[in-house]
Amino acid sequence: MLTKEDLEHLAELARIELKEKEEKKLQKDLSSILDYFQELQKVNTENIKPMTGGTDLVSVVREDFLGKTDDTGKGPEAFPEQERGFLRVPPIF
Amino acid sequence: MHLHDLTIKKFHQGLLNKEFSALEITQDFFNWIEKKDQEIGAYLSLNKDLAVRQAEEADLKIAKNEPVSLLAGVPLAVKDNLLIDGLPATAASKILKDYTASYDATVIKKLKSSGAVFLGKTNMDEFAMGSSTENSAFQQTKNPHDLTRVPGGSSGGSAAAVAAHLAVAALGSDTGGSVRQPAAFCGVAGLKPTYGAVSRFGLIAMASSLDQIGPFAKTVEDAAILFKEIAGRDAMDSTSSPQADSYGEELFNPKLEDIRKLKVGIPKEYFAGGLEKEMGAKIDEVVKAIKSLGLEIKAISLPHTKYALSCYYIIMPAEVSSNLERFDGLRYGTRQKADSLLELYKKNREAGFGEEAKRRIFLGTFVLSAGYYDAYYAKAQKVRRLIKLDFDEAFQDVDVILTPVTPTPAFKIGEKTADPLSMYLSDIFTIPANLAGLPAVAIPIKAKAGLPVGFQLIGKPWREADILGIGQYYEKL
Repeated sequence: MLTKEDLEHLAELARIELKEKEEKKLQKDLSSILDYFQELQKVNTENIKPMTGGTDLVSVVREDFLGKTDDTGKGPEAFPEQERGFLRVPPIF
Repeated sequence: MHLHDLTIKKFHQGLLNKEFSALEITQDFFNWIEKKDQEIGAYLSLNKDLAVRQAEEADLKIAKNEPVSLLAGVPLAVKDNLLIDGLPATAASKILKDYTASYDATVIKKLKSSGAVFLGKTNMDEFAMGSSTENSAFQQTKNPHDLTRVPGGSSGGSAAAVAAHLAVAALGSDTGGSVRQPAAFCGVAGLKPTYGAVSRFGLIAMASSLDQIGPFAKTVEDAAILFKEIAGRDAMDSTSSPQADSYGEELFNPKLEDIRKLKVGIPKEYFAGGLEKEMGAKIDEVVKAIKSLGLEIKAISLPHTKYALSCYYIIMPAEVSSNLERFDGLRYGTRQKADSLLELYKKNREAGFGEEAKRRIFLGTFVLSAGYYDAYYAKAQKVRRLIKLDFDEAFQDVDVILTPVTPTPAFKIGEKTADPLSMYLSDIFTIPANLAGLPAVAIPIKAKAGLPVGFQLIGKPWREADILGIGQYYEKL
Protein backbone atom coordinates (compact mmCIF):
# COMPACT_ATOMS: atom_id res chain seq x y z
CA MET A 1 0.00 0.00 0.00
CA LEU A 2 1.30 3.39 -0.98
CA THR A 3 1.48 5.70 2.06
CA LYS A 4 0.48 9.35 2.23
CA GLU A 5 4.18 10.21 2.58
CA ASP A 6 5.05 8.18 -0.53
CA LEU A 7 2.42 10.07 -2.46
CA GLU A 8 3.67 13.45 -1.25
CA HIS A 9 7.20 12.51 -2.25
CA LEU A 10 6.01 11.53 -5.74
CA ALA A 11 4.09 14.80 -6.03
CA GLU A 12 7.29 16.66 -5.21
CA LEU A 13 9.27 14.71 -7.83
CA ALA A 14 6.53 15.15 -10.45
CA ARG A 15 6.08 18.87 -9.68
CA ILE A 16 2.36 18.52 -9.22
CA GLU A 17 0.53 20.16 -6.34
CA LEU A 18 -1.50 17.55 -4.51
CA LYS A 19 -5.05 18.48 -3.55
CA GLU A 20 -6.34 16.78 -0.45
CA LYS A 21 -9.53 15.57 -2.10
CA GLU A 22 -7.52 13.82 -4.86
CA GLU A 23 -5.12 12.18 -2.45
CA LYS A 24 -7.29 9.32 -1.19
CA LYS A 25 -8.49 8.28 -4.66
CA LEU A 26 -4.98 8.44 -6.07
CA GLN A 27 -3.60 6.42 -3.19
CA LYS A 28 -6.24 3.74 -3.68
CA ASP A 29 -5.92 3.62 -7.49
CA LEU A 30 -2.13 3.50 -7.52
CA SER A 31 -2.02 0.83 -4.83
CA SER A 32 -4.38 -1.47 -6.69
CA ILE A 33 -2.51 -0.96 -9.97
CA LEU A 34 0.83 -1.66 -8.28
CA ASP A 35 -0.66 -4.81 -6.73
CA TYR A 36 -1.67 -5.99 -10.19
CA PHE A 37 1.96 -5.54 -11.35
CA GLN A 38 3.08 -8.11 -8.77
CA GLU A 39 2.34 -10.86 -11.31
CA LEU A 40 5.52 -9.83 -13.16
CA GLN A 41 7.60 -11.10 -10.26
CA LYS A 42 6.55 -14.62 -11.27
CA VAL A 43 8.24 -14.30 -14.65
CA ASN A 44 11.72 -15.75 -14.87
CA THR A 45 13.86 -13.05 -16.50
CA GLU A 46 17.26 -14.44 -15.65
CA ASN A 47 19.79 -13.67 -18.41
CA ILE A 48 17.18 -11.72 -20.39
CA LYS A 49 18.45 -8.51 -21.94
CA PRO A 50 16.09 -5.60 -21.24
CA MET A 51 14.33 -4.16 -24.29
CA THR A 52 15.04 -0.48 -23.87
CA GLY A 53 13.21 0.97 -26.83
CA GLY A 54 11.01 0.32 -29.81
CA THR A 55 13.78 -0.10 -32.36
CA ASP A 56 17.01 -1.96 -32.93
CA LEU A 57 18.50 0.98 -34.79
CA VAL A 58 21.79 2.13 -33.31
CA SER A 59 22.66 5.71 -32.63
CA VAL A 60 24.33 7.50 -35.52
CA VAL A 61 26.96 10.17 -35.09
CA ARG A 62 27.13 13.20 -37.31
CA GLU A 63 29.63 16.03 -37.62
CA ASP A 64 28.94 19.04 -35.45
CA PHE A 65 28.73 22.25 -37.35
CA LEU A 66 29.01 25.78 -36.13
CA GLY A 67 26.48 28.35 -37.21
CA LYS A 68 24.98 31.62 -36.07
CA THR A 69 21.31 32.51 -36.21
CA ASP A 70 18.84 34.70 -34.39
CA ASP A 71 15.88 32.90 -35.92
CA THR A 72 13.88 31.49 -33.02
CA GLY A 73 11.09 30.28 -35.28
CA LYS A 74 7.48 30.80 -34.29
CA GLY A 75 7.95 29.19 -30.88
CA PRO A 76 8.12 32.41 -28.84
CA GLU A 77 4.73 33.51 -30.20
CA ALA A 78 3.17 30.79 -28.05
CA PHE A 79 4.84 31.99 -24.83
CA PRO A 80 2.24 33.11 -22.30
CA GLU A 81 4.67 35.82 -21.11
CA GLN A 82 7.61 37.12 -23.10
CA GLU A 83 9.94 40.05 -23.48
CA ARG A 84 11.79 40.82 -26.73
CA GLY A 85 11.36 37.24 -27.87
CA PHE A 86 12.65 35.84 -24.59
CA LEU A 87 10.63 33.71 -22.22
CA ARG A 88 9.72 35.51 -19.00
CA VAL A 89 9.69 33.37 -15.86
CA PRO A 90 9.20 34.16 -12.17
CA PRO A 91 12.28 34.32 -9.92
CA ILE A 92 13.98 30.96 -9.41
CA PHE A 93 14.77 31.59 -5.73
CA MET B 1 -22.30 11.41 -54.74
CA HIS B 2 -23.48 10.76 -51.21
CA LEU B 3 -20.90 11.32 -48.45
CA HIS B 4 -21.78 7.91 -47.00
CA ASP B 5 -20.51 6.19 -50.11
CA LEU B 6 -17.23 8.05 -50.35
CA THR B 7 -13.97 6.19 -50.00
CA ILE B 8 -10.58 7.57 -50.99
CA LYS B 9 -10.69 5.39 -54.07
CA LYS B 10 -14.20 6.50 -55.14
CA PHE B 11 -13.47 10.14 -54.35
CA HIS B 12 -10.39 10.02 -56.57
CA GLN B 13 -12.28 8.47 -59.47
CA GLY B 14 -15.15 10.94 -59.09
CA LEU B 15 -12.72 13.83 -59.02
CA LEU B 16 -10.90 12.65 -62.16
CA ASN B 17 -14.21 12.06 -63.97
CA LYS B 18 -15.32 15.56 -62.92
CA GLU B 19 -18.47 14.17 -61.24
CA PHE B 20 -17.86 16.73 -58.49
CA SER B 21 -15.20 19.15 -57.34
CA ALA B 22 -13.09 18.83 -54.20
CA LEU B 23 -14.55 22.13 -53.04
CA GLU B 24 -18.15 20.90 -53.36
CA ILE B 25 -17.39 17.78 -51.35
CA THR B 26 -15.46 19.75 -48.73
CA GLN B 27 -18.41 22.09 -48.30
CA ASP B 28 -20.80 19.14 -48.13
CA PHE B 29 -18.69 17.73 -45.33
CA PHE B 30 -18.76 20.99 -43.38
CA ASN B 31 -22.55 21.16 -43.78
CA TRP B 32 -22.93 17.57 -42.60
CA ILE B 33 -20.51 18.17 -39.68
CA GLU B 34 -22.52 21.19 -38.61
CA LYS B 35 -25.64 19.04 -38.41
CA LYS B 36 -24.37 15.67 -37.29
CA ASP B 37 -21.42 16.49 -35.06
CA GLN B 38 -23.67 18.13 -32.50
CA GLU B 39 -24.67 14.63 -31.43
CA ILE B 40 -21.34 12.86 -32.09
CA GLY B 41 -18.81 15.40 -30.79
CA ALA B 42 -15.96 14.09 -32.94
CA TYR B 43 -14.30 17.42 -33.73
CA LEU B 44 -12.61 19.79 -31.28
CA SER B 45 -11.94 22.44 -33.91
CA LEU B 46 -12.73 22.95 -37.59
CA ASN B 47 -10.41 24.29 -40.23
CA LYS B 48 -12.73 25.85 -42.81
CA ASP B 49 -10.43 28.52 -44.28
CA LEU B 50 -7.42 26.33 -44.95
CA ALA B 51 -9.61 23.40 -46.04
CA VAL B 52 -11.35 25.49 -48.69
CA ARG B 53 -8.00 26.71 -50.02
CA GLN B 54 -6.62 23.18 -50.10
CA ALA B 55 -9.71 21.94 -51.96
CA GLU B 56 -9.47 24.78 -54.49
CA GLU B 57 -5.83 23.92 -55.15
CA ALA B 58 -6.77 20.31 -55.88
CA ASP B 59 -9.55 21.46 -58.21
CA LEU B 60 -7.17 23.78 -60.04
CA LYS B 61 -4.80 20.91 -60.74
CA ILE B 62 -7.65 18.77 -62.04
CA ALA B 63 -8.85 21.63 -64.24
CA LYS B 64 -5.36 21.97 -65.72
CA ASN B 65 -5.14 18.19 -66.22
CA GLU B 66 -2.04 18.05 -64.02
CA PRO B 67 -1.20 14.69 -62.46
CA VAL B 68 -2.57 14.40 -58.92
CA SER B 69 -2.01 11.90 -56.13
CA LEU B 70 -4.68 9.52 -54.84
CA LEU B 71 -5.07 11.80 -51.82
CA ALA B 72 -5.61 15.03 -53.79
CA GLY B 73 -8.61 16.90 -52.42
CA VAL B 74 -9.53 14.08 -50.01
CA PRO B 75 -11.17 15.52 -46.85
CA LEU B 76 -9.45 14.10 -43.77
CA ALA B 77 -9.81 14.44 -40.00
CA VAL B 78 -6.69 14.71 -37.82
CA LYS B 79 -6.28 13.75 -34.17
CA ASP B 80 -5.61 16.79 -32.00
CA ASN B 81 -2.16 15.59 -30.88
CA LEU B 82 -0.77 16.09 -34.41
CA LEU B 83 0.56 19.52 -35.30
CA ILE B 84 -0.78 21.49 -38.25
CA ASP B 85 0.93 24.87 -38.60
CA GLY B 86 -1.36 27.67 -37.46
CA LEU B 87 -4.09 25.43 -36.04
CA PRO B 88 -4.85 24.55 -32.42
CA ALA B 89 -3.23 21.38 -31.06
CA THR B 90 -4.59 20.77 -27.59
CA ALA B 91 -4.12 17.01 -27.20
CA ALA B 92 -7.51 17.46 -25.44
CA SER B 93 -5.68 18.87 -22.40
CA LYS B 94 -6.42 22.06 -20.50
CA ILE B 95 -2.68 22.68 -20.29
CA LEU B 96 -2.60 23.19 -24.10
CA LYS B 97 -6.01 24.84 -24.38
CA ASP B 98 -4.68 27.99 -26.06
CA TYR B 99 -1.76 26.45 -27.92
CA THR B 100 -1.42 27.00 -31.66
CA ALA B 101 1.01 24.75 -33.54
CA SER B 102 3.99 26.56 -35.01
CA TYR B 103 4.97 23.91 -37.54
CA ASP B 104 3.64 20.91 -39.49
CA ALA B 105 4.15 17.34 -38.30
CA THR B 106 5.99 15.30 -40.95
CA VAL B 107 2.83 13.30 -41.74
CA ILE B 108 0.96 16.58 -42.28
CA LYS B 109 3.72 17.91 -44.52
CA LYS B 110 3.53 14.74 -46.60
CA LEU B 111 -0.26 14.89 -46.87
CA LYS B 112 -0.16 18.58 -47.75
CA SER B 113 2.17 17.85 -50.62
CA SER B 114 -0.22 15.09 -51.75
CA GLY B 115 -2.96 17.72 -51.81
CA ALA B 116 -5.15 16.31 -49.01
CA VAL B 117 -7.70 18.55 -47.26
CA PHE B 118 -7.80 18.82 -43.45
CA LEU B 119 -11.35 19.37 -42.19
CA GLY B 120 -10.41 19.75 -38.53
CA LYS B 121 -8.88 18.32 -35.38
CA THR B 122 -10.55 15.47 -33.54
CA ASN B 123 -11.26 14.72 -29.91
CA MET B 124 -9.19 12.22 -27.95
CA ASP B 125 -8.32 11.14 -24.44
CA GLU B 126 -6.04 13.77 -22.89
CA PHE B 127 -2.52 13.25 -24.28
CA ALA B 128 -3.81 9.97 -25.79
CA MET B 129 -4.22 8.41 -22.35
CA GLY B 130 -7.36 6.37 -22.27
CA SER B 131 -9.52 3.82 -24.02
CA SER B 132 -12.82 5.65 -24.33
CA THR B 133 -12.16 9.35 -25.14
CA GLU B 134 -13.82 10.07 -21.77
CA ASN B 135 -10.53 11.61 -20.57
CA SER B 136 -10.84 14.57 -22.94
CA ALA B 137 -10.80 17.83 -20.99
CA PHE B 138 -13.30 19.33 -23.42
CA GLN B 139 -16.10 17.03 -24.59
CA GLN B 140 -17.53 13.54 -24.77
CA THR B 141 -17.43 11.87 -28.16
CA LYS B 142 -20.20 9.33 -28.72
CA ASN B 143 -20.20 6.10 -30.67
CA PRO B 144 -22.10 6.73 -33.92
CA HIS B 145 -23.60 3.20 -33.71
CA ASP B 146 -25.06 3.79 -30.25
CA LEU B 147 -24.93 7.24 -28.69
CA THR B 148 -24.96 5.85 -25.15
CA ARG B 149 -21.65 4.10 -25.78
CA VAL B 150 -18.03 5.24 -26.02
CA PRO B 151 -16.27 5.42 -29.40
CA GLY B 152 -13.20 3.82 -27.84
CA GLY B 153 -9.95 5.64 -27.43
CA SER B 154 -7.71 7.33 -27.35
CA SER B 155 -8.33 8.33 -31.00
CA GLY B 156 -12.11 8.19 -30.47
CA GLY B 157 -12.81 11.41 -32.35
CA SER B 158 -11.05 10.24 -35.52
CA ALA B 159 -12.77 6.83 -35.43
CA ALA B 160 -16.21 8.38 -34.85
CA ALA B 161 -15.60 10.97 -37.58
CA VAL B 162 -14.96 8.26 -40.18
CA ALA B 163 -17.83 6.07 -38.93
CA ALA B 164 -20.31 8.96 -38.99
CA HIS B 165 -19.12 10.10 -42.45
CA LEU B 166 -17.74 13.35 -41.05
CA ALA B 167 -14.51 12.70 -43.02
CA VAL B 168 -13.42 10.28 -45.73
CA ALA B 169 -10.55 9.00 -43.60
CA ALA B 170 -8.54 10.16 -40.59
CA LEU B 171 -5.25 10.04 -38.74
CA GLY B 172 -4.80 8.84 -35.18
CA SER B 173 -1.97 7.63 -33.00
CA ASP B 174 -1.60 4.21 -31.41
CA THR B 175 0.48 3.59 -28.27
CA GLY B 176 -1.34 0.55 -26.85
CA GLY B 177 -4.30 0.23 -29.20
CA SER B 178 -5.47 3.82 -29.61
CA VAL B 179 -6.15 3.40 -33.34
CA ARG B 180 -7.25 -0.25 -33.42
CA GLN B 181 -9.58 -0.30 -30.40
CA PRO B 182 -11.68 2.74 -31.46
CA ALA B 183 -11.66 1.46 -35.06
CA ALA B 184 -13.16 -1.83 -33.82
CA PHE B 185 -15.72 -0.05 -31.60
CA CYS B 186 -16.81 2.23 -34.45
CA GLY B 187 -16.75 -0.36 -37.24
CA VAL B 188 -13.96 1.09 -39.38
CA ALA B 189 -10.48 -0.08 -40.39
CA GLY B 190 -7.48 1.15 -38.39
CA LEU B 191 -3.77 0.43 -38.80
CA LYS B 192 -0.90 0.62 -36.30
CA PRO B 193 2.23 0.54 -38.47
CA THR B 194 5.57 -1.11 -37.66
CA TYR B 195 7.45 0.98 -35.11
CA GLY B 196 9.69 3.28 -37.17
CA ALA B 197 7.55 3.18 -40.33
CA VAL B 198 5.96 6.59 -39.82
CA SER B 199 7.77 9.65 -38.50
CA ARG B 200 6.63 10.82 -35.07
CA PHE B 201 7.94 14.34 -35.64
CA GLY B 202 5.13 16.74 -34.75
CA LEU B 203 3.16 14.15 -32.79
CA ILE B 204 2.77 15.26 -29.17
CA ALA B 205 4.69 12.43 -27.52
CA MET B 206 3.05 10.10 -25.04
CA ALA B 207 5.30 7.03 -24.80
CA SER B 208 8.02 7.39 -27.41
CA SER B 209 9.07 3.74 -27.65
CA LEU B 210 5.48 2.70 -28.40
CA ASP B 211 3.79 5.58 -30.27
CA GLN B 212 3.00 5.26 -33.99
CA ILE B 213 0.74 7.38 -36.16
CA GLY B 214 -1.79 5.38 -38.15
CA PRO B 215 -4.76 5.76 -40.51
CA PHE B 216 -8.50 5.21 -40.02
CA ALA B 217 -10.58 4.48 -43.11
CA LYS B 218 -13.84 2.95 -44.26
CA THR B 219 -12.01 0.19 -46.14
CA VAL B 220 -8.74 -1.64 -45.60
CA GLU B 221 -7.74 -0.54 -49.08
CA ASP B 222 -8.13 3.12 -48.09
CA ALA B 223 -6.12 2.54 -44.92
CA ALA B 224 -3.37 1.07 -47.10
CA ILE B 225 -3.43 4.07 -49.45
CA LEU B 226 -3.20 6.53 -46.57
CA PHE B 227 -0.48 4.52 -44.85
CA LYS B 228 1.66 4.45 -48.00
CA GLU B 229 1.40 8.22 -48.17
CA ILE B 230 2.57 8.90 -44.59
CA ALA B 231 5.27 6.21 -44.26
CA GLY B 232 8.95 6.95 -44.77
CA ARG B 233 12.26 7.64 -43.10
CA ASP B 234 12.50 11.15 -41.68
CA ALA B 235 15.67 12.90 -40.53
CA MET B 236 13.57 14.63 -37.86
CA ASP B 237 12.73 11.33 -36.12
CA SER B 238 15.79 9.25 -35.36
CA THR B 239 13.62 6.18 -34.67
CA SER B 240 12.12 6.23 -38.15
CA SER B 241 13.86 3.52 -40.14
CA PRO B 242 15.43 3.52 -43.62
CA GLN B 243 13.26 0.44 -44.27
CA ALA B 244 10.24 2.73 -44.13
CA ASP B 245 11.16 3.97 -47.61
CA SER B 246 10.75 0.56 -49.23
CA TYR B 247 6.95 0.14 -49.12
CA GLY B 248 5.46 -0.52 -52.53
CA GLU B 249 2.09 -0.68 -54.26
CA GLU B 250 1.55 -4.26 -53.04
CA LEU B 251 0.08 -2.48 -49.99
CA PHE B 252 -3.08 -1.63 -51.90
CA ASN B 253 -2.73 -3.91 -54.94
CA PRO B 254 -2.21 -7.29 -53.27
CA LYS B 255 -2.08 -10.37 -55.48
CA LEU B 256 -4.27 -13.26 -54.38
CA GLU B 257 -1.60 -15.81 -55.30
CA ASP B 258 0.79 -14.12 -52.82
CA ILE B 259 -1.82 -13.77 -50.11
CA ARG B 260 -2.80 -17.45 -50.43
CA LYS B 261 0.73 -18.49 -49.53
CA LEU B 262 0.52 -16.84 -46.11
CA LYS B 263 0.13 -18.93 -42.97
CA VAL B 264 -2.13 -17.51 -40.29
CA GLY B 265 -1.53 -18.32 -36.61
CA ILE B 266 -4.23 -18.32 -33.93
CA PRO B 267 -2.64 -17.78 -30.49
CA LYS B 268 -4.48 -19.82 -27.86
CA GLU B 269 -3.67 -17.32 -25.09
CA TYR B 270 -5.97 -14.71 -26.67
CA PHE B 271 -8.93 -17.02 -26.28
CA ALA B 272 -8.33 -18.09 -22.67
CA GLY B 273 -10.93 -16.56 -20.36
CA GLY B 274 -12.30 -13.03 -20.51
CA LEU B 275 -13.49 -13.41 -24.09
CA GLU B 276 -17.24 -13.21 -24.58
CA LYS B 277 -18.78 -16.27 -26.20
CA GLU B 278 -20.26 -14.15 -28.93
CA MET B 279 -16.86 -12.66 -29.73
CA GLY B 280 -15.35 -16.14 -29.96
CA ALA B 281 -18.07 -17.20 -32.40
CA LYS B 282 -17.46 -14.13 -34.55
CA ILE B 283 -13.74 -14.81 -34.71
CA ASP B 284 -14.54 -18.38 -35.79
CA GLU B 285 -16.54 -16.95 -38.70
CA VAL B 286 -13.57 -14.80 -39.72
CA VAL B 287 -11.22 -17.79 -39.54
CA LYS B 288 -13.59 -19.73 -41.81
CA ALA B 289 -13.74 -16.85 -44.27
CA ILE B 290 -9.97 -16.56 -44.40
CA LYS B 291 -9.62 -20.31 -44.83
CA SER B 292 -12.00 -20.08 -47.78
CA LEU B 293 -9.51 -17.74 -49.47
CA GLY B 294 -7.05 -20.62 -49.40
CA LEU B 295 -4.83 -19.61 -46.49
CA GLU B 296 -3.49 -22.15 -44.04
CA ILE B 297 -4.52 -21.70 -40.38
CA LYS B 298 -2.36 -22.93 -37.51
CA ALA B 299 -2.68 -22.94 -33.72
CA ILE B 300 0.23 -21.16 -32.06
CA SER B 301 1.27 -20.07 -28.59
CA LEU B 302 2.50 -16.70 -27.29
CA PRO B 303 3.15 -17.75 -23.68
CA HIS B 304 3.95 -14.33 -22.19
CA THR B 305 0.76 -12.66 -23.46
CA LYS B 306 -0.83 -12.47 -20.03
CA TYR B 307 2.02 -10.30 -18.75
CA ALA B 308 1.73 -7.74 -21.53
CA LEU B 309 -0.75 -5.53 -19.69
CA SER B 310 1.41 -5.15 -16.56
CA CYS B 311 4.51 -4.69 -18.68
CA TYR B 312 2.82 -1.97 -20.72
CA TYR B 313 1.35 -0.14 -17.74
CA ILE B 314 4.85 0.19 -16.27
CA ILE B 315 6.81 1.15 -19.39
CA MET B 316 4.20 3.52 -20.83
CA PRO B 317 3.67 5.66 -17.66
CA ALA B 318 7.45 5.78 -17.15
CA GLU B 319 7.81 7.35 -20.58
CA VAL B 320 4.73 9.50 -20.01
CA SER B 321 6.15 10.94 -16.80
CA SER B 322 9.28 12.06 -18.59
CA ASN B 323 7.60 13.19 -21.85
CA LEU B 324 5.09 15.32 -19.95
CA GLU B 325 7.80 17.10 -17.97
CA ARG B 326 7.88 19.67 -20.76
CA PHE B 327 4.38 20.84 -19.90
CA ASP B 328 5.28 23.26 -17.16
CA GLY B 329 2.98 26.06 -18.27
CA LEU B 330 5.94 28.30 -19.06
CA ARG B 331 6.13 28.03 -22.80
CA TYR B 332 2.62 27.14 -23.86
CA GLY B 333 -0.90 27.34 -22.61
CA THR B 334 -2.26 29.22 -19.67
CA ARG B 335 -0.07 30.35 -16.82
CA GLN B 336 -1.19 30.35 -13.17
CA LYS B 337 -0.04 33.11 -10.79
CA ALA B 338 2.87 32.15 -8.55
CA ASP B 339 5.75 33.77 -6.65
CA SER B 340 8.48 31.29 -7.48
CA LEU B 341 9.32 29.01 -10.36
CA LEU B 342 8.78 25.82 -8.35
CA GLU B 343 5.37 26.98 -7.19
CA LEU B 344 4.50 27.91 -10.76
CA TYR B 345 5.33 24.43 -12.03
CA LYS B 346 3.26 22.77 -9.35
CA LYS B 347 0.26 25.03 -9.82
CA ASN B 348 0.30 24.86 -13.60
CA ARG B 349 0.55 21.11 -13.65
CA GLU B 350 -2.09 20.68 -10.96
CA ALA B 351 -4.55 22.85 -12.85
CA GLY B 352 -3.58 21.73 -16.36
CA PHE B 353 -3.57 17.93 -16.18
CA GLY B 354 -6.68 15.79 -15.79
CA GLU B 355 -7.12 12.83 -13.48
CA GLU B 356 -5.77 10.09 -15.77
CA ALA B 357 -2.77 12.13 -16.88
CA LYS B 358 -1.90 12.74 -13.23
CA ARG B 359 -2.42 9.09 -12.35
CA ARG B 360 0.02 8.01 -15.07
CA ILE B 361 2.58 10.68 -14.20
CA PHE B 362 2.52 9.51 -10.58
CA LEU B 363 2.72 5.87 -11.63
CA GLY B 364 5.61 6.56 -13.99
CA THR B 365 7.43 8.64 -11.40
CA PHE B 366 7.01 5.78 -8.92
CA VAL B 367 8.34 2.98 -11.17
CA LEU B 368 11.35 5.10 -12.08
CA SER B 369 12.14 6.27 -8.55
CA ALA B 370 15.11 5.10 -6.50
CA GLY B 371 14.41 1.80 -4.78
CA TYR B 372 11.66 0.72 -7.18
CA TYR B 373 13.36 1.03 -10.57
CA ASP B 374 14.69 -2.54 -10.69
CA ALA B 375 11.57 -4.22 -9.35
CA TYR B 376 9.26 -2.42 -11.78
CA TYR B 377 10.81 -0.61 -14.72
CA ALA B 378 13.85 -2.83 -15.33
CA LYS B 379 11.73 -5.94 -14.80
CA ALA B 380 9.11 -4.72 -17.28
CA GLN B 381 11.80 -4.08 -19.90
CA LYS B 382 12.94 -7.68 -19.57
CA VAL B 383 9.39 -8.99 -19.83
CA ARG B 384 8.98 -6.79 -22.90
CA ARG B 385 11.91 -8.66 -24.46
CA LEU B 386 10.23 -12.00 -23.67
CA ILE B 387 7.02 -10.83 -25.33
CA LYS B 388 9.01 -9.79 -28.40
CA LEU B 389 10.81 -13.18 -28.44
CA ASP B 390 7.43 -14.98 -28.33
CA PHE B 391 6.48 -13.20 -31.55
CA ASP B 392 9.89 -13.85 -33.18
CA GLU B 393 9.43 -17.53 -32.51
CA ALA B 394 5.83 -17.62 -33.71
CA PHE B 395 6.85 -15.89 -36.94
CA GLN B 396 9.20 -18.78 -37.69
CA ASP B 397 6.05 -20.82 -38.24
CA VAL B 398 3.44 -18.37 -39.47
CA ASP B 399 3.36 -15.06 -41.37
CA VAL B 400 0.38 -13.40 -39.73
CA ILE B 401 -1.34 -13.70 -36.35
CA LEU B 402 -5.12 -13.38 -36.01
CA THR B 403 -6.82 -12.27 -32.77
CA PRO B 404 -9.84 -10.26 -31.62
CA VAL B 405 -9.22 -6.50 -31.25
CA THR B 406 -11.15 -6.21 -27.98
CA PRO B 407 -12.77 -8.64 -25.54
CA THR B 408 -16.20 -6.95 -25.95
CA PRO B 409 -17.99 -4.43 -28.19
CA ALA B 410 -18.08 -0.73 -27.16
CA PHE B 411 -19.02 -0.26 -23.51
CA LYS B 412 -21.40 2.32 -22.05
CA ILE B 413 -20.28 5.88 -21.35
CA GLY B 414 -19.31 6.03 -17.66
CA GLU B 415 -19.16 2.25 -17.27
CA LYS B 416 -15.43 2.02 -16.58
CA THR B 417 -14.41 5.50 -15.43
CA ALA B 418 -14.51 4.73 -11.70
CA ASP B 419 -12.05 1.84 -11.94
CA PRO B 420 -8.91 2.60 -13.97
CA LEU B 421 -7.78 -1.03 -13.99
CA SER B 422 -10.98 -2.19 -15.70
CA MET B 423 -10.44 0.50 -18.33
CA TYR B 424 -6.84 -0.65 -18.86
CA LEU B 425 -8.03 -4.22 -19.45
CA SER B 426 -9.91 -3.15 -22.59
CA ASP B 427 -6.52 -2.83 -24.36
CA ILE B 428 -5.41 -6.34 -23.51
CA PHE B 429 -5.30 -7.66 -27.11
CA THR B 430 -3.78 -4.60 -28.75
CA ILE B 431 -0.88 -3.86 -26.37
CA PRO B 432 1.45 -6.75 -27.36
CA ALA B 433 1.93 -5.42 -30.92
CA ASN B 434 3.11 -2.06 -29.53
CA LEU B 435 5.50 -3.68 -27.07
CA ALA B 436 7.00 -5.76 -29.89
CA GLY B 437 6.91 -2.92 -32.46
CA LEU B 438 4.82 -4.96 -34.92
CA PRO B 439 2.30 -3.77 -37.51
CA ALA B 440 -1.32 -4.62 -36.67
CA VAL B 441 -4.61 -3.78 -38.30
CA ALA B 442 -8.16 -3.76 -36.94
CA ILE B 443 -10.75 -4.85 -39.48
CA PRO B 444 -14.54 -4.74 -38.95
CA ILE B 445 -16.12 -8.18 -38.77
CA LYS B 446 -18.97 -8.51 -41.25
CA ALA B 447 -22.33 -8.69 -39.53
CA LYS B 448 -25.93 -7.93 -40.42
CA ALA B 449 -26.81 -6.25 -37.13
CA GLY B 450 -25.55 -5.39 -33.68
CA LEU B 451 -22.64 -3.32 -32.41
CA PRO B 452 -19.50 -3.47 -34.54
CA VAL B 453 -16.53 -5.58 -33.45
CA GLY B 454 -13.24 -6.20 -35.17
CA PHE B 455 -10.54 -8.75 -35.72
CA GLN B 456 -6.87 -7.99 -35.58
CA LEU B 457 -4.11 -9.16 -37.88
CA ILE B 458 -0.57 -8.77 -36.55
CA GLY B 459 2.24 -8.99 -39.09
CA LYS B 460 6.00 -9.37 -39.21
CA PRO B 461 7.94 -6.10 -39.02
CA TRP B 462 7.66 -4.15 -42.31
CA ARG B 463 5.07 -6.61 -43.64
CA GLU B 464 2.01 -4.35 -43.54
CA ALA B 465 1.38 -5.70 -47.05
CA ASP B 466 0.53 -9.15 -45.59
CA ILE B 467 -2.03 -7.99 -43.04
CA LEU B 468 -3.53 -5.31 -45.30
CA GLY B 469 -3.59 -7.78 -48.20
CA ILE B 470 -5.56 -10.40 -46.26
CA GLY B 471 -7.85 -7.62 -45.04
CA GLN B 472 -8.55 -6.43 -48.56
CA TYR B 473 -9.49 -9.92 -49.74
CA TYR B 474 -11.65 -10.50 -46.64
CA GLU B 475 -13.43 -7.26 -47.44
CA LYS B 476 -14.22 -8.44 -50.98
CA LEU B 477 -15.75 -11.76 -49.84
